[in-house]
Amino acid sequence: MKTTYKSIFRIILLVCSMAHLQSCSDFLERQPDQILTDDQIFGDKVMIRSVLANFYGRVTWGQHIGDWYSFTVLDEAGKSDQGPDNMQNFGNSHWRVSNYELIRNFNQFLKGLRASTVLSESEKQEYEGEVRFLRAWTYFNMCRGLGGMPIVGDEVFEYMSGMDVGTLQYPRATEAEMYDYIIAECEAAALMLPASTNTNAARANRWVAVMLQARSAIYAGSLANYNNKMTSPIRTSGGEVGIPANLASTYYEKALKAAQEVINTSPYSLQMTKPDDLERNFYEALSVKTNNTEVIWARDHGYPGEGQQVNFTTMNIPGSHAEDIDRAAAGPILNLVEDFEYVDNRNGDIKIRDEQGNFVFYDDPLDAFANKDARLGGSVILPNALFRGTAVEIQAGHKVWNNGTWQTVTSTPGERDNAGRIITSANGPNRSNEQFINKSGFFFRKFLDETPGASTRGRNSDMWYPRFRFAEAVLIAAEAAMELGQQSIALGYINQVRDRAGIQHLTAISIDDIIQERRVEFAFENHRYWDLKRFRRAHIIWNGVVNSTTAQHWALFPYLVVAPGTPNDGKYVFDRLTFSNSLHPRFFELRNYYNFIDLGWQNANPKIVLNPFQ
Amino acid sequence: MKKILYTLSLCSVLTMTGCGLDNRDEPESTIRGRVVYDGEPVGVRGTGEAVQLQLFQDGYELRNPVPVYVTQDGSFEIKIFDGEYKLVTRNNNGPWVNDRDTTVVRLQGMANVDIEVTPLFTLSNVALSLSGGSLSASFQVDQVTQGWDIDYATIVVGRTLFVDDVSYTARRDLRDIDTGVLTTELLDLTENADFKNGRALYARVGLRAAGKDQSIYSQVIKIR
Repeated sequence: MKTTYKSIFRIILLVCSMAHLQSCSDFLERQPDQILTDDQIFGDKVMIRSVLANFYGRVTWGQHIGDWYSFTVLDEAGKSDQGPDNMQNFGNSHWRVSNYELIRNFNQFLKGLRASTVLSESEKQEYEGEVRFLRAWTYFNMCRGLGGMPIVGDEVFEYMSGMDVGTLQYPRATEAEMYDYIIAECEAAALMLPASTNTNAARANRWVAVMLQARSAIYAGSLANYNNKMTSPIRTSGGEVGIPANLASTYYEKALKAAQEVINTSPYSLQMTKPDDLERNFYEALSVKTNNTEVIWARDHGYPGEGQQVNFTTMNIPGSHAEDIDRAAAGPILNLVEDFEYVDNRNGDIKIRDEQGNFVFYDDPLDAFANKDARLGGSVILPNALFRGTAVEIQAGHKVWNNGTWQTVTSTPGERDNAGRIITSANGPNRSNEQFINKSGFFFRKFLDETPGASTRGRNSDMWYPRFRFAEAVLIAAEAAMELGQQSIALGYINQVRDRAGIQHLTAISIDDIIQERRVEFAFENHRYWDLKRFRRAHIIWNGVVNSTTAQHWALFPYLVVAPGTPNDGKYVFDRLTFSNSLHPRFFELRNYYNFIDLGWQNANPKIVLNPFQ
Repeated sequence: MKKILYTLSLCSVLTMTGCGLDNRDEPESTIRGRVVYDGEPVGVRGTGEAVQLQLFQDGYELRNPVPVYVTQDGSFEIKIFDGEYKLVTRNNNGPWVNDRDTTVVRLQGMANVDIEVTPLFTLSNVALSLSGGSLSASFQVDQVTQGWDIDYATIVVGRTLFVDDVSYTARRDLRDIDTGVLTTELLDLTENADFKNGRALYARVGLRAAGKDQSIYSQVIKIR
């Protein structure tokens, strides 16, 4: 009896353990489908391309159309959605870039690529050029915020337990070394990259690398120049911040040479497809991808394709043209509008009062902007201007002539008076904190997509965001030539850009002309902030003074005149008001010229020195 | 019923004893002090964490400073643990000569420290008074450190004790200020909303040296 029990038990045990062992084997043999080995990636052409594509999705920083709020932090636009914008100071890490994970990924890619056997030598060259350009672009974005940072070359660091971490700790390069490295890497990459254009200018080619070379050189030149002209130049003792003044001319020469290379030999040009309609021409040069000859490199967006669209149009379209609930999140401000010159007058102020202080009356609100720089209409939707073929009504209310004084009448947006005239337009502007109503008197036109459906949440827009374009090469050449004392060459270049805008030629050129031209040419293109930093003007222009013409945000409100029996009835007048949704003037302090070093970085690497003012 | 009560009381005892043991005590000691020149505190901007000192402590692996905020009358105060600290001004911050000399603070309960600085300019003989609709301000600027220029002097009026070049309701900037003599200027307040509605008003004068991140200020005076 006893033995039977024992043997039954044994049999059960045997069967169980066999079944158990069998069930496991398959599960443990599976290959991971989330983690790929280097061999799997660099042994497959398609995989290599998709890693490269991933890199292109990770190199957008600062102002861009994926973040509409970024246009409101400077002096270009104001936030109109709901509550006011409380921004007053610039943060110590404003638009700061320090992405060594990305740098490491670039270097891993280069290592794998060089060892790969599935690509031809020429393909390898192109990919290597592309990645080295992207790495230089990443360093460039770091450098313009932080100054010199550690340059790690092609190194792929691996930490193994017990090793001396000191070998992984690199000190910061000087600011000059950093720009030199970026320029040298671009020179090398330019030789590897194809000279031909590609779809929607989405990938780096030779000219993109040459443009970064030009831009880095002009940044370094202007830093060497204008930082040392400050009362107390901003620098660290080791040169991590601050470029010696005697290097300026070398950098300017490099910038001029690189910019001229693009101007003279690249397949791009100052796009001029509609000489009869310069506003439209400018809009299309920036915001229409088909047959574009202007844009050299852009962050492209696509439709269809999941997650490849951008909601800039959805968020900022005028209410009258909206296709979904979203609209009017932000609008350009008067500061920018008035910086556009008149065709024959460099003072761009809108004429709203005559010398006696009386209103100037306009038959159509758009007439107030007649004879302006064509780029204004190409960048900003003005009151009563057309968008998608219909007028955008922007009207703050009525000005009623009442017993010898003007009375301002406003209403809830969209309401009409007894005579059927609209009071406050459904688009706005008003000074409330209501959502979906404009507060500045203007809407964006640059980068606003005209495609039907582009302002719906379900579709969004496939608008691109240009990073380099031909006009920048022209203006870099103008600036570099001006700084090198070559006035006539500089004038030749800047007047090309002014010709396209339909405004008078300059006969002499100074740094203020360069700043002014770049301000209006590159509005909303992630240049303004960096320009004012490198020219050391930011603390003067954004001085934090309430009601200052430059630091405070201003709005322009159009009103319909109601004065029955007078010749002015039915005309339009304007009021200049502070932009009610930006509570404080912009205040850029000396500490903002360089981002602060995160103290955590210094803890991890004691060789990192801090920036001035920290 | 009794069982439930027992369980409940057990539960509450458990929760009550659950906390406390693993928490540190809050710091009880205080460092209090002033930023001084010639025995007088130096007025600065007291808002926006604008002027800071830094407190370091040796003997630990990491050396991040503790920020110490200087308020507008030039005083500061920080609650921290007992120990030996080093107090320095922040790099390039404040209306004085940039000097990163260390002041050692041995803290046991309470410590009073005066940080000596050398301002670029000083403001003296400051008189602020309201007459009718305008504020009359007179002050004398003296140069203490050679090699610096005056950017501007400013008369600022605010609604609270916190009044400086960022928080103000009225402001007038004056250029071409002479040193060593009394400057008298008026600030018109008749159009100012806060003046018209009868609020309490505070004022002081400031002076910004060209190329410095901060202005030096006189002490705040209640003018109404």
